[in-house]
Amino acid sequence: MISVDHPIIELKEVVKKYSPDIMALENIELQIPKGEFVFLTGPSGSGKSTLLRMLYCAEQPSSGTVTIDGMDLSSLSLSQVPQLRRKVGVIFQDFKLLYNKTVFENVALSLEVLGLKRSQLEKRVKQVIEGVGLGDKMYRKAVQLSGGEQQRVAIARAVVNRPPIILADEPTGNLDRQRTREVVALMNELNARGATIIFATHDETLFEHSHRRLLLLEKGRLKRS
Amino acid sequence: MAFGIIFKRAVRDFRQNFVTHLMTTLVVGLTCLIFVFFSLFSFNLQQVVERFGRQLAIIVYLKKDVSQESIPAVYQKIAGLEGIESVKFVSSEEAFKRLEKFFKDEEEVLQGVDPLFLPPSFEVQINRAVYHLDRIKKIASELSKWPEVDKVQYGRAWVDRLEAFSRVVRGAVMASGIILLLTAAFVVSNTIKLTVYARQEEIEIMRLVGGTSGFIQGPFLLAAFFQGTIGSSAAILLSFFAYRYILGMLDYTGLVRSLSLQFLPFSYIALFVLASGLFCVAGTALALRRFLRL
Repeated sequence: MISVDHPIIELKEVVKKYSPDIMALENIELQIPKGEFVFLTGPSGSGKSTLLRMLYCAEQPSSGTVTIDGMDLSSLSLSQVPQLRRKVGVIFQDFKLLYNKTVFENVALSLEVLGLKRSQLEKRVKQVIEGVGLGDKMYRKAVQLSGGEQQRVAIARAVVNRPPIILADEPTGNLDRQRTREVVALMNELNARGATIIFATHDETLFEHSHRRLLLLEKGRLKRS
Repeated sequence: MAFGIIFKRAVRDFRQNFVTHLMTTLVVGLTCLIFVFFSLFSFNLQQVVERFGRQLAIIVYLKKDVSQESIPAVYQKIAGLEGIESVKFVSSEEAFKRLEKFFKDEEEVLQGVDPLFLPPSFEVQINRAVYHLDRIKKIASELSKWPEVDKVQYGRAWVDRLEAFSRVVRGAVMASGIILLLTAAFVVSNTIKLTVYARQEEIEIMRLVGGTSGFIQGPFLLAAFFQGTIGSSAAILLSFFAYRYILGMLDYTGLVRSLSLQFLPFSYIALFVLASGLFCVAGTALALRRFLRL
């Protein structure tokens, strides 16, 4: 499943500075082959979110290159950015849900942007919502759900268009043990289907007994890769 | 991106944010209403000025020493000028007869006066199709340079005064139009900005899940076009009914009848409605620009 020859994600000498002189990331060298599941960890403020934001083009590096599936992100035009983002499913720490919309509408948004008609997207959206265990709450507004349920809606939205890369930024940060295990299991399942996953977390229990590669960030430097 | 999907999203959005859209449409409508009122006034004033001007003729007085033989040649020359509808020769005798008719109750005024003391003249009517106040001035100026011509009259003072008044009104309408447009731009742009601010999160999420600019902007721009066209159409309809009502109230007065007021022509209305729609689209596109950056 893992292809070492052609990394789907590659960072070369990546530096990210914020003015006046805050070094968020320093000389990052990283290759992630297609189909790999890696954990990204480090204390708060170590640069985990900054690194992830670069991978979905919300930030540009101060220097160095970021390549996703052969595309150099610094050379992307504004009109190419949406094409990249359709390849990368992002699960945000703060969920980024539309709280006045239903679970169905939130998840369907990822397919609507592709121009799919309601009849085409309905089956797939329902399938994914049932897959994250929210089949009975499909037409409830997101605001009426618990934190754990909202997190699962965010996961469903990130995976519904079957992106080859999934970036999860502290996806279990607001969940209890049971829900955390469910989310990790879901991620394992998606990885088994071929998705490349970067799972950012500072919860050591998630990776301490895992065979997965661990990326450790400290003060913007990659200590272990 | 299929237009159908954008249209459906715009309609869905219109339903979900009905009050906000209604308020924006009302603001557009009220601004348009003021503009239509000014345009109506300016248009009718222009019509009155032109109608009055059309009734004016140019009188070309010939020099007394002009021979009878050269008059047909002068006639032909005037008739050959561009934009001339008709030319009528008035001999000295005929001019004297008109004077006698004018003084028919005081015949003694003209007793002993030489019937040939009045100069022969031509009465020139300008073609209505090419009529313009500037045109009269130009023709009069050209005629006055001819060697056979002594003097040219065309009610110049009246024409000049009317023209000046019309120019002032046109300027006032244009200035008020620009101020109204700027006010409308400010209000519409701010109303739309508020709508966009309220939906900033939604726009951000759409961008993050791969929505193109067209997908994100489409429904906003379509809604803005509807707001512009519906608002301006409502303003036109309202001013039309108000115009008819006021006209009906004043119809018995001779003055109003003689002015023969008209509503704005269809071509102007169509252009105005389309321009309002496009104007709102441009305002929205500007307001959205900063939310669509990376």
